[in-house]
Amino acid sequence: MQVPYVNFSKQFQETREETLKAVVAVMERGDFILGKEVQEFEAAFAKMVGTKYAIGVANGTDSLIMCMKALGIEPGDEVITTPNSWISSASSIALIGARPVFVDVADDQNIDVSLIEAAITDKTQCIMPVHLTGRSSRMPEILEIAQRRKIPVLEDAAQSVGAITGGIKAGKGGLFSSFSLHPLKNLNAMGDAGIITTDSDEMGMRLRMYRNHGMRNRDEIDFWGYNSRLDTIQAAVLLPRLRQLPDVIEKRRAFAKRYTAGLAGVVECPVEREDEFHTYHVYVIQCDKRDQLQKALAEKGIETKIHYPIPIHLQKCAKDLGHKKGDFPVTERQAGRILSLPINQFLENDQIDFVIQGIREFYSHT
Amino acid sequence: MKVRYSYLQQQFANPEPIFEGIRELLKTGAFTLGPQVEEFEGKFAKLIGTKHAIGVASGTDALKLPLKALGVGHGDEVITAANTFIATAGAINEIGAVCKFIDSTPYYVMDAELLEKAVTKKTKAIMPVHFTGEPVEMDQVMYVAKKFGLPIVEDACQSILCNYKGTNCGTFGAAGGFSLHPLKNLNVWSDGGVIVTNDSELDAKLRLLRNHGLKNRDEISVFGYNSRLDSIQAIVGNWLIPQTVDITNKRRDNAAYYDAAFSKMDGFVELAPRRPHVKQCYHLYMFEVAEKQRDSLLKFLVDSGIEAKVHYPIPLYQQEGLRHLGYKAGDFPVTDRQAKRIVSLPVDQHLSRKEQDYCIQKVQEFFAGHSREAKH
Repeated sequence: MQVPYVNFSKQFQETREETLKAVVAVMERGDFILGKEVQEFEAAFAKMVGTKYAIGVANGTDSLIMCMKALGIEPGDEVITTPNSWISSASSIALIGARPVFVDVADDQNIDVSLIEAAITDKTQCIMPVHLTGRSSRMPEILEIAQRRKIPVLEDAAQSVGAITGGIKAGKGGLFSSFSLHPLKNLNAMGDAGIITTDSDEMGMRLRMYRNHGMRNRDEIDFWGYNSRLDTIQAAVLLPRLRQLPDVIEKRRAFAKRYTAGLAGVVECPVEREDEFHTYHVYVIQCDKRDQLQKALAEKGIETKIHYPIPIHLQKCAKDLGHKKGDFPVTERQAGRILSLPINQFLENDQIDFVIQGIREFYSHT
Repeated sequence: MKVRYSYLQQQFANPEPIFEGIRELLKTGAFTLGPQVEEFEGKFAKLIGTKHAIGVASGTDALKLPLKALGVGHGDEVITAANTFIATAGAINEIGAVCKFIDSTPYYVMDAELLEKAVTKKTKAIMPVHFTGEPVEMDQVMYVAKKFGLPIVEDACQSILCNYKGTNCGTFGAAGGFSLHPLKNLNVWSDGGVIVTNDSELDAKLRLLRNHGLKNRDEISVFGYNSRLDSIQAIVGNWLIPQTVDITNKRRDNAAYYDAAFSKMDGFVELAPRRPHVKQCYHLYMFEVAEKQRDSLLKFLVDSGIEAKVHYPIPLYQQEGLRHLGYKAGDFPVTDRQAKRIVSLPVDQHLSRKEQDYCIQKVQEFFAGHSREAKH
């Protein structure tokens, strides 16, 4: 049996007609840049998250860059984030000349709230919690600290559209939030795409202009901006998929439940707390002999991934930050033990069971 | 009669070959940096005549990434044209560098004679803009670049197959940036851009910078951007590349047709000097009229159903957002004068002679009741 990690061709089969129809409609009108569907998608997305504004942009990296620019973050400033994320969380900070200040993570792979205050200095201009794996960070606790210390929060919700923690939906808690709509995400376009949510009138207005060269209108430029627009074609593809998102998440949650029941006592499974709604963008187990397990599963036709094997602070790009091995022990320990199991919405229960059986078998021999 | 500016509906009247490509793409799911992008890069490099081409997210990024790859950064100065689209200056600003503008020539591109005087100790690069599809005097740019050891990054966003003394624009310097925006001569169905270079080391750096600095899936060598040409857009580009030479020739032909008519309107309409050693690609067809007649001509044309435009009415250095650069009114007299006098007419490859005749006729009609003041 083959268990693929992603299955685009199945997604295409199921959405073939509406996808092609969407592309044709845009093509016939020719409003490829900031056209009709961009506004429609923004409105639908804002409604889903519950924010006043949603601003479609080119990708989930630009969205972070532009939010921090909108805050006025400059070279020399510091932004707090986690070292176990996709590179964009840290690179967006570094690219605007600021310094990423890493805080280690907790068992749930999200920022360890108890370590945040110690990382705050008089240069800290923003806290960027990363909602990794499809679960949002401990937002109630983070917002309490941020409000008390008067530091704005930018949620990196790239992996966690639809997640809820402590009654706060991903994208609703911070001053603004950044989402990726990359093809591998739960809500995915057919190319790079991203979106920002905010309740702030000022930031909403500012970001709308930032993504479009800082232009007030065709001829007037109010401030320096970027070229980072959500393509109309991608918005058209995303609109029906946004309607299907609750089903996608439910399917993934059901598979997660099945994994957790089947793997209890064999490996460490993600634990969903009572006040959390996990969307399982990835289902990450933590285990011993990880690399051997991955190899054994691959031999059975089961495709697994590691998100991510080398923490950011130990990457070559981060050498100027001056970190060394041991600086973030939980992140480093997890990097050697995490394994992402297939959990895309196009799988069947018997494929999940096959994975469970493969893992149980591996550990029964060792 | 209506003469539209955007010709996208005509251009993509038979989109079946593109849809076929999209159907194939949907089967494989290689939406980012798929084989279609590689194919496009190969074809584009061949078309322009460079060793490498790198597909990126936009024309803006096609300027930003080479500057970043060349090590231009905070506090450095980049010399560029005062009359250009905001993206040129925006790309320079985005990496923390400062724009140093120089004034325009009568043919709407930066005056290379002014370049040498603009070089300071802080200058780290020169960004000539082949604005409207008209080449900058590259001999002079190359001379200054060599004299001061400065790299050139050409803003070739509007100038695919624009040619200076037998060499294509975009290929003179360290790198050239092109836009594939829907309104460009070679256009895709969204934002898109491409960088060309002959320098293999720069090519490798640019490939890292457009894709998060990823050496492979797990190892990151530098902090990079997310700026990739979508596979789906590369499909559109691949379909258009074989047509690009014809598109360019058709635009040149249309421009020559306008030129022949407007050159007879001396004193009413002023045309840029047509230098014999360049081949424009006429992304835009511009002419000038007297300042006090421009807005009424524009209104007359628009009221007559012709989508005439002005690229651009407010020079960058006078924009609110660029005030902090410290320029003051009058710093760029040629640019200022042109901003108040220029008009752009549709010149695209799908424009018919009938439509062109109508445009010419309407311009003539407007001036029938006016005096010859274009030279003043």
